Amino acid sequence: MRLEGTKALDAPRDTVWFVLNSPDQMAKLMPGVESFDVHDDRHWRANVKIPLGLGGLRMTIDFTKLEEREPEFAKLAAKGNGVGAIMNMETAFHLSDAGGGTEMRWEADVKIAGPVGSMGQRVLQPIVNQQVNNVLAALERQCAEAAASS
Amino acid sequence: MTETQTKPLVVEREDTKPGFAGTSVPRKEDKRLVQGQGVFFDDIKRHGMGYVHFVRSPYAHAKIKSVDVSAAVELPGVYGTLTGDEVAILTDPFFELSVPPGANIKDYALAVGRVRHVGEPVAAVVASSRELARDAAELVVVDYEPLPAVTSGEQALTNDVVLHDDAGSNVVWEGLFDWGDYEGAVAEADHVVKIERLHFDRFSSTPLECSGVLVEYNRGTGQWTLHGNHQMPGVGAIWMAPALRTGIDKLRFVSQDIGGAFGNKICLHPQYVACCLLSRKLNRPVQWTEWRTDQHTANAHGNERTFLDIEVPVTKDGRLLGLSVKAIDDCGAFPRYEPLGCIIWAQVTPGCYRWRNIRVDFTQVVTNKSPVSPNRGYSRMQHLWLTERVIDLVANALDLDPVEVRKKNYVRADEMPYETPNGCVYDSGDYARCLDIALDLVGYDDLETKRLDAQARGKLLGVGIGSTLDSGTNNFGQSTLLNPDLQFSGNNEVATVKLDIFGEIVVTLGTVPQGQGHETTASQVVADILSVTPDDVTVRAGHDTYWNSHAGLSGTYASQFAVTGLGAVKGATEKLAHEIKRVAAGVFGATPDDIELADGMARLKANPEAAIPFMGIGAIVNANNAILPEDVRDVTLNCRYVYVPPFTLPDKERKFGNLTLTYATQVHVAVIEIDPETGVYEIVDYAAVDDCGTRIHPQIVEGQVHGATAHAIGAATHEVFAYDEDGNLLTPNFYDYHVPHALDMPPMKNAAIESPSPFTPLGAKGMGEGGGAGIHAVCAALQDALRSAGGATVWRSCNPYHQVWQYLQDASSLVEVQSK
Repeated sequence: MRLEGTKALDAPRDTVWFVLNSPDQMAKLMPGVESFDVHDDRHWRANVKIPLGLGGLRMTIDFTKLEEREPEFAKLAAKGNGVGAIMNMETAFHLSDAGGGTEMRWEADVKIAGPVGSMGQRVLQPIVNQQVNNVLAALERQCAEAAASS
Repeated sequence: MTETQTKPLVVEREDTKPGFAGTSVPRKEDKRLVQGQGVFFDDIKRHGMGYVHFVRSPYAHAKIKSVDVSAAVELPGVYGTLTGDEVAILTDPFFELSVPPGANIKDYALAVGRVRHVGEPVAAVVASSRELARDAAELVVVDYEPLPAVTSGEQALTNDVVLHDDAGSNVVWEGLFDWGDYEGAVAEADHVVKIERLHFDRFSSTPLECSGVLVEYNRGTGQWTLHGNHQMPGVGAIWMAPALRTGIDKLRFVSQDIGGAFGNKICLHPQYVACCLLSRKLNRPVQWTEWRTDQHTANAHGNERTFLDIEVPVTKDGRLLGLSVKAIDDCGAFPRYEPLGCIIWAQVTPGCYRWRNIRVDFTQVVTNKSPVSPNRGYSRMQHLWLTERVIDLVANALDLDPVEVRKKNYVRADEMPYETPNGCVYDSGDYARCLDIALDLVGYDDLETKRLDAQARGKLLGVGIGSTLDSGTNNFGQSTLLNPDLQFSGNNEVATVKLDIFGEIVVTLGTVPQGQGHETTASQVVADILSVTPDDVTVRAGHDTYWNSHAGLSGTYASQFAVTGLGAVKGATEKLAHEIKRVAAGVFGATPDDIELADGMARLKANPEAAIPFMGIGAIVNANNAILPEDVRDVTLNCRYVYVPPFTLPDKERKFGNLTLTYATQVHVAVIEIDPETGVYEIVDYAAVDDCGTRIHPQIVEGQVHGATAHAIGAATHEVFAYDEDGNLLTPNFYDYHVPHALDMPPMKNAAIESPSPFTPLGAKGMGEGGGAGIHAVCAALQDALRSAGGATVWRSCNPYHQVWQYLQDASSLVEVQSK
């Protein structure tokens, strides 16, 4: 499943970069995070509960930062394991100045395997879209808060 | 709902026949089955046994970086595990039937180093309960590195991603079949009809009972006993024994009742080998019972086949001169029984038609999908669907009547036995007669009135025909047309019939019944020869290789029991009858020719009062043999017979020869109505006419016709194993994979004719795999109904409502006519 989009953020590029690259800030962006561990500056682990059917889907996701060019580009790999689902994702974002704010262009290649994967796009696509919207909304809030406090 | 006429229409043969064969006597099997007294493998339990659960791949294609079973092993109640690394050490890869590159594929009981389809077993866990084994399997940590997936035959041919590095290509087998003079046919033709693409979808005739086995290992003898539901244990042992580095006799296969198989239970050797290893490793019996989702995901599907660049030279009056096609067969991740499907279709090369010039460029490839296995109608079904599609699309393109095109091109009854362009011999049949009966049953003459009536109700009505052949009793020599080095040919089946000490007549079969009524039909044949009743005959239930009543090609598959199984029963019973006569003659001081068998006795023809009951014959030979004259002391009253069909080796160079012994006929006609607003359609009338030669038990035949039709309607309307681009199976359970139930079945009208086979012991033909006719009948009916709604080409074998809706939105034609 390939996803991409553009988001205008009302915060300077350095602030957006900080939010997107700080594990603490990142943890607040993700939906259903129950715990978040930072192994080093390139490896993080999150335990999440994604709303999916009865009870939700618990998953452990390992993040690895693959590439970064501060403050304009970063690329992450995420590998998640849960009962009934395995997720592999590569995501990248490009930041550019846009007036006083920042334009973020992003893309993600998400692969879901296991029984949940067999539910197919007719079920997963709306869920993924909803989660992406939640992440972007959270990002907007985080950036606004960070900009206000700086 | 099915509404079978109480008395099926039978023509061309007298209803009354001497003896029990030909009558629908009560089935011997039914009492225990309806009372819940059948014994299926999962009913068998052993003290201290463990339950096996396979850890399966969530990925269609990935490298296995590591497998960690430690957490599972530590769970209380877990007896042990097995991994691919162990399998690679303890076994050899299963042998491959193909020539290179397919021959170089390495296939083990568990994945070794790489997974190649969703659901592929990666490890196995054994625990004290089935549920605990499943929970423990969740604790096995497998680290995968995902790889790109290959999800179509055409994609596989690019070799951009290669599944098996040892093979170096995704091609399993490829070859050109060229019979007659195709260029000459094109030169003679008035038109060449070109069809861009047709596709036979992936589905499976899901059996009621999933696969499984209970395996016991005897450390003292080094022997495994497998209580399972493998439907072809002779061939299963040929695969398993070399892999396990043991002898064939170290594998004892036992089954009593099996809840359907349809070919899906032929390729169970990987799971069975894993269970053999586990029972030996853990020194305890182990039982594997497949979960339904696993059955869908990773047991065995039917072959998926794409037909490209189809060309049909034809005269202006609709005479078919030739056929050329490129076929790409997708056999999933491992070939297993393949590439036999690359030749099995050739048993019915011209379908029901007098095509003489045929060229088929056939390629089989592996993809990241579940491996295939022979599925009811195996390989012929795909090809016959093609030939039937061609007939209707040609008729449609040239504005000809599909009924007339069929009748003009059918092999005629007076041409039987008929040799096809590739040397197969159609033994008997009257296809045009079957078609007339089927059309009559659906009121074809009133079709236009019905069409107008449907139109008035806002519906599109269509009628479609499927006329196919069920070729039965394989000549395994056809395998040498794929791989000249293979040492298979002919066929065989075994039966023993004995007269025991108290006069019991006991029959043992080499076949592996799965609901086909072997006990009943065997008893009918025995009863007629020995002049007793079927109630006097005990047919041992099921199969046991320890009974010594099997041969290398024994099993129940490929529409052959009525020929091979009953041929063996007939041969063994005739031997026994002769021995009984010899004993009686010895006692009476007569010759065997002076003796007749009647009413359970052997008696002098000239003086029926002089009679010895079978009980007496059995007692004399088994317990009182000192009274016998010397010249009959060789009599055992325990007669084993191996039926061997009259086959010769095919010509490897020309790919020519008689590949199968009998050809049963099916002509199905479907009438459907489509709602043009939604694409939803309903089968409003349906007729199935069957000709399988002499019917031993008409009711069992009719049951087979019903079952095959249900499978066909499922395959034509809803059943499809759909994968996404990553190789995830999107239809892994009965929620997404809809199998027709009683309410989905149309009102069904059955009829039969009997054209006895001149080549078989009883005039019977194998049957039961005629579902392909139904698949096409539905496709053709849709095509007919869509004519007034744009005329889209129905190019897929499975057409769910959303597909029909697509046809209604995009009426693209894939057919082009080039005329001279």
